[in-house]
Amino acid sequence: MKAKSILLVEDNPDDVVLTMRALAKSHVANSVDLAGDGVEALEYLFCTGKYAGRDPCLLPQVILLDLKMPRMDGLEVLRRIRADEKTRLLPVVILTTSSEERDKVESYKLGANSYIRKPVDFAQFAESVRQLGLYWLVLNEAP
Amino acid sequence: MTDGLTRVPEASGFRNRDDYAAALLNVVGDLSQEKSRLEELQRASLNILEDFAGEKVRFEETQRAMLNLLDDFASEREKSEAANRGLRVALESLRLAKEDVDSANRELEAFAYSVSHDLRAPLRTIGGFSQVLVEDCDAQLNEQGRDSLHRIVAAVEKMGQLIDDLLNLSRVTRVEMLRGPVDLTRMARKIFEEFRKFHPERQAEIVVADDLVGQGDERLLSVVLRNLIDNAWKFTSQREKARIEFGAAPAGGGQAFFFKDNGTGFDMAFAGKLFQPFQRLHTMRDFPGTGIGLATVKRIIERHGGRVWIEARPGQGATVYFTLAGEPEEREVR
Ligand SMILES: Nc1ncnc2c1ncn2[C@@H]1O[C@H](COP(=O)(O)OP(=O)(O)O)[C@@H](O)[C@H]1O
Ligand SMILES: [Mg+2]
Repeated sequence: MKAKSILLVEDNPDDVVLTMRALAKSHVANSVDLAGDGVEALEYLFCTGKYAGRDPCLLPQVILLDLKMPRMDGLEVLRRIRADEKTRLLPVVILTTSSEERDKVESYKLGANSYIRKPVDFAQFAESVRQLGLYWLVLNEAP
Repeated sequence: MTDGLTRVPEASGFRNRDDYAAALLNVVGDLSQEKSRLEELQRASLNILEDFAGEKVRFEETQRAMLNLLDDFASEREKSEAANRGLRVALESLRLAKEDVDSANRELEAFAYSVSHDLRAPLRTIGGFSQVLVEDCDAQLNEQGRDSLHRIVAAVEKMGQLIDDLLNLSRVTRVEMLRGPVDLTRMARKIFEEFRKFHPERQAEIVVADDLVGQGDERLLSVVLRNLIDNAWKFTSQREKARIEFGAAPAGGGQAFFFKDNGTGFDMAFAGKLFQPFQRLHTMRDFPGTGIGLATVKRIIERHGGRVWIEARPGQGATVYFTLAGEPEEREVR
């Protein structure tokens, strides 16, 4: 069975590079799909717009979600994910830039599962994976 | 006339004059009785009328008094209505002022939020890619390249710390305060414990007095304690045997809490601006920091209506005092 993908929702190309690198360092074998902002993320998840041809059954294993993005921010994306029966239970890790508690509180209220301060590094990613119980995400070289 | 009276009328049915006279007398007697009864009645009526007149006078007086009262009341009412109107106007302008403050606060909040995100994004990129160089390209770098890279990483960390501290400073003046008794002894012991765990190599004698309780906002007071403990811990770092004490002493009718250390201290001649942001008396190399801690402490203490001051001697250590007395919110309204 092909492993489900990871959906990275991030608008900053520098952060995309750094996150990809952290994932590679964590030996994640899953493929990573990228959505450039919140609107694109919803199109991906609900197979509309740019992703109209996608198989709607293929939901990602986990979503890494940036908060501050143009058009639609991460909190709104999270709200919509939690509001839809189909995506309600998807694990969501919030990527944030500050320790502002507001982010934390608000995203937890909306049902974020975990949360990483950018730049995403190996240690934080491993901790989130552990919190989420997604050990099997880290495939290569894992015992 | 008598004749007329004593003559028995034909149709009267009396048999003789005597009968008639007797009957007539009876009638007269009845009549006179009637009359005295009537007179009594009249007297009684007059009495009643008199009473009534008296009542009426009294009643009229009462009425007048009541009218006066009503008059007074009306003018009182006008006065109090004017006062009420004044009060309403004052309340309204208070409400408007509060709305202004609230919206200014919201703006500040939004500003702080965007600073924390937007200012940090490029910083994150610099830090992140410096890390890539450190981890992946170390072999290709010479000594100078490595040194430069470490300076970049350190500067990025410093700026991140500065942003955090500044945001924290602006936040402590904005957050809502929830006042209550706060167990400062327990709070201080917990923070000291964290510092010990973080620097297990350090020898420090920590003395925290029992039963120190302050009135205030628990979270804000923990920011105060954390900053003061951080300073005491930092400025005693070059002591063979550091000693830090947290206690309370009588001050100006109330009590002042204090943190006393035997650290490096400073010359009081330069103490003037220490409670303003970025003011420091020590070099980054000896004692790193951003210079925002004491400014943050001062803002929090002032929000609690208290005072904070510092006493120090070079090479002898420093003592920071603070009070929590007073209710600043109420004082402002008066
Ligand atoms: N306990 C102390 N002993 C000696 N100096 C102190 C002490 N606390 C504060 N200071 C002086 O006040 C300055 C400002 O303190 P603070 O605002 O906390 O900034 P920081 O700790 O980041 O340097 C310090 O840099 C130091 O010069
Ligand atoms: Mg400090």
